[in-house]
Amino acid sequence: MMKPALLAFALLLLASAAHAASGKLVLYTSQPDKIAAETVAAFTRKEPGVSLEIFRSGTTEVMNRLQAELLAGDPRPDVLFIADALTMEELKADHRLMAYPGADVVAFPADAYDKDFTYFGSKLITTGIIYNTAASRKPGSWKDLLLPQAKGQVILPSPLYSGAALIHMAAMSGDADVGKYYYAALAANGAVPARGNGAVTSAVAGGEKMYGIVVEFMALNAKAKGSPVDFVFPAEGVTAVTEPVAILKTAKNPAAAKAFVDFILSKEGQELAVRQGFFPARRDVAPPPGFPSGASLKIIPLDLHRAAAESDALKKRFAALFGG
Amino acid sequence: MSPLPRRGGWDSEPAVFLALLLVIALLAVLPLGRLALEGVAAPGRSLLTSVLAARQTWVAAEHTVVTALLGTLLSVAIGVPAAVLLALSDLRGKAVLVFAFMLPLLIPPQIIATAWIELCGPASPLLRPLGLAPRAGVPNPLYGAGGISLLLGIEHAPLVFLALNAGLRALPRELIEAAQASGAGFWRCLRDIILPMTGAPLAAGASLAFVSAIGNFGTPALLGIPGGYNVLTTLIYRKLAGFGPTVLSEVADLSLLLAIIALIGLFFQGWAMRRRDTSMTGAGAPLRAFPLGRWHRPIAAACWGVVVLIVALPLGSLLATSLEPAYGVPLSLATATLDNYRYVLFADAAAGRAALNSLFLAGAAALVLPLLALPLGLFIAWRGSRIMRLAGQLAELPYALPGVVLAIACILVLIRPLPLLGLSLYNTIWIMLVAYLARFLTLALRTVTAGYHQLDRAMEEAAQMAGAGFVRRLRSILAPLLAPVATAGAILVFLTALNELTLSILLWSTGNETLGIVVFSLEQGGDNLSAAALAVLVVAATVLLMLLAGRLARRLPRGALPWQV
Repeated sequence: MMKPALLAFALLLLASAAHAASGKLVLYTSQPDKIAAETVAAFTRKEPGVSLEIFRSGTTEVMNRLQAELLAGDPRPDVLFIADALTMEELKADHRLMAYPGADVVAFPADAYDKDFTYFGSKLITTGIIYNTAASRKPGSWKDLLLPQAKGQVILPSPLYSGAALIHMAAMSGDADVGKYYYAALAANGAVPARGNGAVTSAVAGGEKMYGIVVEFMALNAKAKGSPVDFVFPAEGVTAVTEPVAILKTAKNPAAAKAFVDFILSKEGQELAVRQGFFPARRDVAPPPGFPSGASLKIIPLDLHRAAAESDALKKRFAALFGG
Repeated sequence: MSPLPRRGGWDSEPAVFLALLLVIALLAVLPLGRLALEGVAAPGRSLLTSVLAARQTWVAAEHTVVTALLGTLLSVAIGVPAAVLLALSDLRGKAVLVFAFMLPLLIPPQIIATAWIELCGPASPLLRPLGLAPRAGVPNPLYGAGGISLLLGIEHAPLVFLALNAGLRALPRELIEAAQASGAGFWRCLRDIILPMTGAPLAAGASLAFVSAIGNFGTPALLGIPGGYNVLTTLIYRKLAGFGPTVLSEVADLSLLLAIIALIGLFFQGWAMRRRDTSMTGAGAPLRAFPLGRWHRPIAAACWGVVVLIVALPLGSLLATSLEPAYGVPLSLATATLDNYRYVLFADAAAGRAALNSLFLAGAAALVLPLLALPLGLFIAWRGSRIMRLAGQLAELPYALPGVVLAIACILVLIRPLPLLGLSLYNTIWIMLVAYLARFLTLALRTVTAGYHQLDRAMEEAAQMAGAGFVRRLRSILAPLLAPVATAGAILVFLTALNELTLSILLWSTGNETLGIVVFSLEQGGDNLSAAALAVLVVAATVLLMLLAGRLARRLPRGALPWQV
């Protein structure tokens, strides 16, 4: 009989053999350029045998590209790392995702990952309000964006580009308090669409608009670097996406793809996310300074399945209200 | 046509002739022909009608024509006085002025637009300290039709300038001297002789500015998309980026509409060129410069003022923005940082990859095209081959038509696997190289053909009589003689290809992004600081290449380099 230490050693060997990933790995992601570059660098330090190639754009554009490739019968990515679970649900329903039951999800809350292990939420990205410090009024509620002071001063990301923006629209429209007429009221108050959250942040930081609807980490990162902006978690609550990671069934390099998922879910990967200004999904990693603690964060709930059924209608409604 | 040597073989003159015809047929005729076919004979023709019935199509077409016309007016307003002053007067510092004045044509539109956005926004690093920037909360005044027209006008003014400048230099000196001798002053000469005689080149230059304006992508994309103001090029891009190849037939119809508008402009240009008074070309002796006299100082000041306004201020804002630590932070010595440069140079994988891709694409085009132009130019300039001259004109089309049109045409031809090979070039870097070769062939060809016209044929004839084969003569006699013009052509191709955006934005795929694409996506994604830093580096490279090419200038025929007139 093997001694326990030896057994552990053998298991460790086995485990590291399973992780001896190498070769080319193609990642499609909606992470902003800089953050994606850091993620890539950190992963490659851990798995130097893997050469990681990335394509990045807004979630919706990433998906359009993937759909075009699926249509042509040549999907390129091994791994998807995009903003929202909604898109992942759609892919899962189309049987495009590979289950990875070996993923280590012990430290994650049960609602962070898919129960069939096809996708795994990596963090909590909330959407709230960014404002320029020169604004006449500090916003506290979603309804403040409908006030006369905010007329023509609001910019919001387009769900035709951003996955977080789509989730935000779905959740807000389903919320009894804010209501389904919120977007129409925003449009009536002269709000304009931007391509993505990055463009919202720079429009508010540059003073072109006073208020923006945006994911919290971009606003807080801009503030930390000295841009004249601040961020509020509105009273009614924030909407949230989980930035899930998933492996495609058609992955050409599943070993490296699994190594990437392992890295994102590892303590090390989650600590990197915290340094990048994200609220981590792992319970054993502390959130970055400036965030309300997990318990006090009020999140507007979202029915993923209903939202998935509605997503096309939502996009069309947005295009009709804001012209894309 | 001079008799062709009878020797057969792959390197004989007829074989090379046929090979060149085949290359032009594949690069220019096949894709554009395929696109035209898509318009008349694609399956399910109801599409064309649905595109033409969509209100969005006509709104975009109207925007395209309106901004292009306004832009052309501005190009004429800037280009005409510049050409008159620089060609006819004794203004000092002409070389530097011409160089500065050509910059808006050679710096890619997406970078010019980025620079102007930074100049005119509420966060303007140059205007805010002076209290001239828009109030916080005011959107950038450049977003929309006005800003697009303004920048189109500035970017294409050099085209009007170049055409008119060539016309002015071809004026018969005797006529003006006769007028001067009979006491006509500068204004009188200008009004009664010079402008009436240069109407045709001016019209040609203006048409060219119009055609370039409707094909422009970078300007309306950065200034129009944020305000929901679509022109045809941006509409095509948004459809293809948003929905992928499933809408290929639809965007093909849109690009045909764009091509038709461009052809109207090109037709007008051709008509104006033909109307040029041929008796006045090649007049020989240059005009004696009109003395500006006491007006010298104010006119020089005005010229420099314009250069500051259209070149120095926007590029200065770009530079200042690239040094900001975070967007919206006022720039000072204490806050300035090189972090954005560090990021695009060392940390951003996409920027590094894009630099390599752009270098590869531009380098390959700059290497291949002059080699093609060498024999092509010989058939056109020396052999007077009518077929080859026609082929040369066909090779102009992919450059003259909007880049978006060529890109869609290339996708149509190359999306299916190639016969025999079974590989599709779509989604690879090779489709971009094919499109680049098709688009920029004419740049190399024009320079090299001009070189042939200046060369004495005796050397080649002597070698021919001594029994040297065609390829041998090309290689050992003509190539060395034409090396300077071929190099100038190569630099022109390289410079234009390095900054290419319109083709690339529709043809690129994962890992194959170019510099133009990365600057564009960074700016559109809201990372203005990195976009500015990368743009500054590209501008620096462009200026460096222009200066490098300028060193060749003494060995070149006049007009080989657009910024050395």
